[in-house]
Amino acid sequence: MPITTTRRRLLAGSVATLALPALVRAQSAAKPRLTVISQWSAGSDGAAITALGKKFEEKGGVWQHSPVPGFTTEMMNKLRAQIMAGDPPACSQLKGPEIAAWSKIAPTVDLDALVAAAGYEKVVAPDLAKLHKPGGKWIALPLQIYSTNMLFLSKRAMDKAKADKIPVTWADFNDLAEKMKAGGVAYPIANGGTRPDDGQKFEAALAGISPLAYRAAIMNLEKKALEGPEVKAAFAQVRKIADWMDPNVGAQHFSTNLKRFIDGDMGMMIMGGWAQGVLRNAGFKFEDFIIAPGPSDNSKPVFLLNADAFIFWQRKEPDLQAGQTLMAQLVMDPAIQTMYSQITGSIPVRTDVDLSGEGWSDGQRRTGAALKEAIASNQAVLSLAHNMAQENGMTAAMIDVITEYVKNKTIKPEQAVARLAEAVEGAR
Amino acid sequence: MTNAAAMKPDRPALPEWVRRLPECLMIWVPLLLSAAHLVSFSLWTIWISFTPSTLVPVTGWVGLRNYTAVAASRNWQIAFDNLLLFGSAFVLLSAATGLILAILLDQRIRGENVLRSVFLYPLAVSFVVTGTVWSWLLNPGLGIQKLVHDLGWTSFKFDWLIDRDMAIWTIVIAAIWQSSGFAMALFLAGLRSVDADIIKAAQIDGAGPIRMYRRIILPSLWPITITVVVIQLQFAISTFDLVRALTNGGPGIATQLPALVVYDLMFQRSLLGRGAAAAVLMLLILLAVLLPYAAWRYLQRRRASHA
Repeated sequence: MPITTTRRRLLAGSVATLALPALVRAQSAAKPRLTVISQWSAGSDGAAITALGKKFEEKGGVWQHSPVPGFTTEMMNKLRAQIMAGDPPACSQLKGPEIAAWSKIAPTVDLDALVAAAGYEKVVAPDLAKLHKPGGKWIALPLQIYSTNMLFLSKRAMDKAKADKIPVTWADFNDLAEKMKAGGVAYPIANGGTRPDDGQKFEAALAGISPLAYRAAIMNLEKKALEGPEVKAAFAQVRKIADWMDPNVGAQHFSTNLKRFIDGDMGMMIMGGWAQGVLRNAGFKFEDFIIAPGPSDNSKPVFLLNADAFIFWQRKEPDLQAGQTLMAQLVMDPAIQTMYSQITGSIPVRTDVDLSGEGWSDGQRRTGAALKEAIASNQAVLSLAHNMAQENGMTAAMIDVITEYVKNKTIKPEQAVARLAEAVEGAR
Repeated sequence: MTNAAAMKPDRPALPEWVRRLPECLMIWVPLLLSAAHLVSFSLWTIWISFTPSTLVPVTGWVGLRNYTAVAASRNWQIAFDNLLLFGSAFVLLSAATGLILAILLDQRIRGENVLRSVFLYPLAVSFVVTGTVWSWLLNPGLGIQKLVHDLGWTSFKFDWLIDRDMAIWTIVIAAIWQSSGFAMALFLAGLRSVDADIIKAAQIDGAGPIRMYRRIILPSLWPITITVVVIQLQFAISTFDLVRALTNGGPGIATQLPALVVYDLMFQRSLLGRGAAAAVLMLLILLAVLLPYAAWRYLQRRRASHA
């Protein structure tokens, strides 16, 4: 019978040999892989997502990131093309109300089990959580938070104005700007000339004057609030800000003028927390500038929320599915959020991360504290200029009015109020 | 080809269809492909413009609602006014600049080849580059105004780029810089093709140079003038990259142009239906220029064949 045995062995051996590649393939299929698109290509944003990719690879994953530089809308064009071609990325950047809008055009991954396992829901601000579970189920995960109305003060400009108090209300802010002007600061307000830049000036003004009016007018688009006195007062404040800006910036990005800001040639900047990352990345020191919450007339911090998030698109490939699970776990991990925020200058989405330790700036600590306070006093609202409050079409219609107002000094605040209400009606 | 074949009777004549095959493949295939491409996508865009599409194309019918929404928007109205101003100023001024350059070059001067290359060179630069370079040159804090200030004339003011009433003229300036060389090349060719005998006859009759240009040379240039105007006009209507790099529609929305509005609606605001409607409106404006031109060309040809 030895021959039979040999034959059997031979048979078994050949079957095993034939089956081997399939086995190997099955094993490598389980190796997590992730295709990601985002707008983060360079600077601190690029560095942060590259670091996240490294962590993904450390856990045994294959990281395939294709950045689309520019505004978020540029990234969306690629996303749209991929979805229409039936080949969405396993994961993409997306934020605000766009998550709900886009989830209607392609199937997304239900993340409820993963979110429950990580206990994530308890540590996310409720307003923010709502944006990421449009149909009642988690389909996207916020990663980091910025406030779009942080006030950056140039130390050298403060010295020129002989001032050391951080302005709290808009009246304080205006006083300080006048002092800076008198002290020889050429332009008390540092700025860029892009649309979001102009939008931020307005949202900071309105939310600082009245967070309630902001919620009603901008987030809920109530006609009465849109035509109310607070919106008019906000436009009047924006005019003051516009008069203190350098008109020569044209359509430049805000980062073009950071050196003049640090040198004290420009005094104050109303910008998102990401400016800290940009300033640090450009080699400036924490001693050169101060970061504080934007002006608020009731003295309690107002937080204009801007949160970056990842949405997960349904894929059939097991390796991509494994990659989505791994990515979701990483995004919710406090250590990863800490790493990410320390690079970009944002604050973590998780409210339970301790910001007192090494690696956090005073500005980030103030931002974190401001968020907690703002949530408690219901003064955390969603940013218009950064597409958190409304979908793109509505946002763009409103920013049209604002950017024209900032650049055209013959428009009166009451005219701007009427135009804003008109634009909202037109875009509905 | 027929002559060549007839001259070599020893070679067996190929069947007609084989002989014409390369010609058909080289001309008709690409032509049909591009025509199908152009026509099908134009029709698709027209269809989309009647649907309620936003993020992605969807079926449905909203009638003219997208068109009325676009036509009522401030962005489109500003863009349309700008197009009228920019289109006419740019076409007239670039044709005039081109003509003057061509006449000056036509004086049998030394170094004509070098000068011609210099004036044509901007055409080789992409509009994005032109826009970016002029955006620095025209920026009052960095460019020409600062240079003149640094030279000591501190009251000098040239801030059109940030002046919302004058900003559209900065686009005219950059566009003329870019394309007057093209008009010059066409006019120069026209000047060179004027019959030398007529010029000599005029000289013998004692016509001075100014009179000769006014009465003889320039009138013979008018077919070329029409070509220049039509080509420049359709360029003006579809201008996008230059404005995007130079002012990006600003200050505010003061320098919007139709192409910018289309891009903005489709790809920034995710309103495909309205974007498509704006694109169709642009197509109609183009047709308003091109159809009369085509009719004129047709009449010209008919007259020529009758003569």
